[in-house]
Amino acid sequence: MSKKVLVVDDDPDVRLFTQTVLEENGYTPVLAKNGEEGEAAVRKDKPDLIVLDVLMPKESGIRLYRNMKTDKKFKNIPIVMLSGIAEKSFLRSQKVLTEFGGDPVPDPEAYLEKPVDGEVLADTIKKILG
Amino acid sequence: MNAKTRKNPDFHKMLFVTKFEELGFDALQSLLVLRGAGLNHVVLMNVIERDRVAMHRGLGYDKTEARKLREIANIRFIDWAESLFEKGMEVGEYIVVGNMVSQVLHAAEEENADFIVIGQRSKKMMEYFYSGDDIIELLRRTDRPVLIYKHLESNGCECLPDNPFARTLLAVDWSPASLSAVEYLKTLKHVAQEISVIHVAAPGELKGASNMAIQGLRKEKRGRMEQICDIFEAEGISARCHLYVGESIKEIERAAREFNATMIVLGSSGTSAWTERWLGSTPRAIVEKSGYPVLVIPKT
Repeated sequence: MSKKVLVVDDDPDVRLFTQTVLEENGYTPVLAKNGEEGEAAVRKDKPDLIVLDVLMPKESGIRLYRNMKTDKKFKNIPIVMLSGIAEKSFLRSQKVLTEFGGDPVPDPEAYLEKPVDGEVLADTIKKILG
Repeated sequence: MNAKTRKNPDFHKMLFVTKFEELGFDALQSLLVLRGAGLNHVVLMNVIERDRVAMHRGLGYDKTEARKLREIANIRFIDWAESLFEKGMEVGEYIVVGNMVSQVLHAAEEENADFIVIGQRSKKMMEYFYSGDDIIELLRRTDRPVLIYKHLESNGCECLPDNPFARTLLAVDWSPASLSAVEYLKTLKHVAQEISVIHVAAPGELKGASNMAIQGLRKEKRGRMEQICDIFEAEGISARCHLYVGESIKEIERAAREFNATMIVLGSSGTSAWTERWLGSTPRAIVEKSGYPVLVIPKT
């Protein structure tokens, strides 16, 4: 059975692009358009990997990332961040949230800045999922 | 979620609506003082109005142009969001094409925003930004507080206060909406330095009255305002009350000047004829004409 990859992004073009890359590489994509939908999809579909945007309506990728990595049921799901937000800003935000009293979280398995080449995205996912 | 089911008054989630020219990152930064009142989530919103990208009649809108404008807005928001994320804030964004008021109402509902911020620069510049009519329509249709944020004119230049809530002027008429404003302002104890509570009595209330009756009116109004000041003082916010007599719009503006206010706060929406009068004229005129940022709070 092919591995399931959850794509959480509010941009329909990015969702379509990522979906195509995933299907071409034998993965089953599951799509969500914000952090809130993404979190529901994680619970329902139990994906093998998450491709996650940062800046989205309702719930950002920062919050979803944190929720996943501090939940013992989901913390081992690898996450590839795919965003226009700089990696440095993402990492700083997590540090600040930890300083505010949150649990420490590990760095994501990969961080790709938009726009990303399809091959780079596919290779990154392959390396993680084996 | 409507006003009847909304949670307690607070300022945790802000919908910040901008066209960039009237409200920039400096305006957003100045509102981050609300972190002291629990602000932890900023939703950035840019509405590309259809007429900016409209094609000839009946042909819809130019999607290529809309896409370009979206990307330009996105570049700005990414920059702002990085800075906000690094401060530990939660950030979201909406860049949409459509009618400004409808889109803002929709996003506020979707996000369950606690309040909306929208910009308005000086009157001479207003034609370039959200029209006064749009803001008035938004105020009429929303059940959320709306901050109409403006640059203050000072010594010939336009500037933003470091803390727009530092010296708040609250105009009260004891309508349900102005009492709701009291509830909101109570949450600003770590943000507001002083609240000036004012009431403007109509000259008609004094007409034909004896000196004793006028003194009695003053005593009664002051007593009621003192009760509101006591509420703020109990929360640790310094508050003073002041009675004015005259035309409400002029007197509120005068009071704002006299107390060097950084913001005017008014109640909105009511059902009684008296409140309707207040609503129909005063907040509308203050929003449209005042040189101060104005926070309009609906009844809860």
